[in-house]
Amino acid sequence: MLFLFSPAAIATEKTLDDRVNEIAYLLMCPVCQGQSVAESNSNLANDMRQIVRKQLEEGKTNQEVLDYFVKRYGDSILASPPKKGINWLLWVMPGVAVVLGAVGIALFLHKSRRPENDVEFIPAAPGEESESEYLKKVDEELKKYE
Amino acid sequence: MRIINSIIKYTVLAVILIILAVLAYALFGDRDITKTSPLVGKQSPGFTIKLYDGKRISSEELKGKTVLLNFWASWCIPCRQEAPALEEAWQRYKDEDVVFLGVNVWDDNENAMSYMERFGGQYPHGIDPEEEIQVDFGIGGVPETYFIDKTGKIRDKYNGPLTDEIIDYYLERAMKPAEAETS
Repeated sequence: MLFLFSPAAIATEKTLDDRVNEIAYLLMCPVCQGQSVAESNSNLANDMRQIVRKQLEEGKTNQEVLDYFVKRYGDSILASPPKKGINWLLWVMPGVAVVLGAVGIALFLHKSRRPENDVEFIPAAPGEESESEYLKKVDEELKKYE
Repeated sequence: MRIINSIIKYTVLAVILIILAVLAYALFGDRDITKTSPLVGKQSPGFTIKLYDGKRISSEELKGKTVLLNFWASWCIPCRQEAPALEEAWQRYKDEDVVFLGVNVWDDNENAMSYMERFGGQYPHGIDPEEEIQVDFGIGGVPETYFIDKTGKIRDKYNGPLTDEIIDYYLERAMKPAEAETS
């Protein structure tokens, strides 16, 4: 009995307003740009909040209320697309993109570092002037004109 | 090094192909993107409209008749554009067991009355006192129009201002039996 009046019990018990808000945040306002029904002040969002409240008062579950709106507006009314059909890609693709991006960056860094480490010294072949010898000749020629 | 380069090339190619396949599925896949409402093809939600002449009309009373259910508001400019076409169409179809029903939403009574005086209100207009019909029908704005057949099934929904041609096209479809429509 004491538990019913304990702060923990009060904290976890959701009021009707809390439940209306909870559902309203899960629904997108059909006439607004990126606003949920909870955030919008439009007439339609206001009507939708009233219907959510009425249906909850009638004893419907949160899912039943959400289903009512999906039946009328389609899945696009939901703030989070349901994890079914092609919608799965919306949930999976960001992760895949991050992994592929990381792999790409790793490969790029690996590739761009290789020339520095793998540089091979090729001695000048007999009879072939090395670059330094060539530069010496250039210096000698330039001295003639000084 | 060559092996790594080949792996990168094929991986990039595979990723591009996967993305193209996903886009193709989204565009042409098994998704009904032509419907303007999930309610099309289903039974119309039940409703009771309180008409401006004081009477009430319910969806049950309309069974056996083709219904054009038009949502409008006095502040809506496209509603004014379509009003003459609706009035003319009502004159053409009123003897053919077709009911035109205007539902005023998100408006005040005074403005609605003056709108009807100015733009015509020959066929019945009214409101849902519970203010639920607009959500029951899943409307996102005005004007929006539902075409309901004699069995009470929603055959089409049109978003935006109607014209004579659009009204004729959708009403003819709604007046035909559903089987004839699909064959």
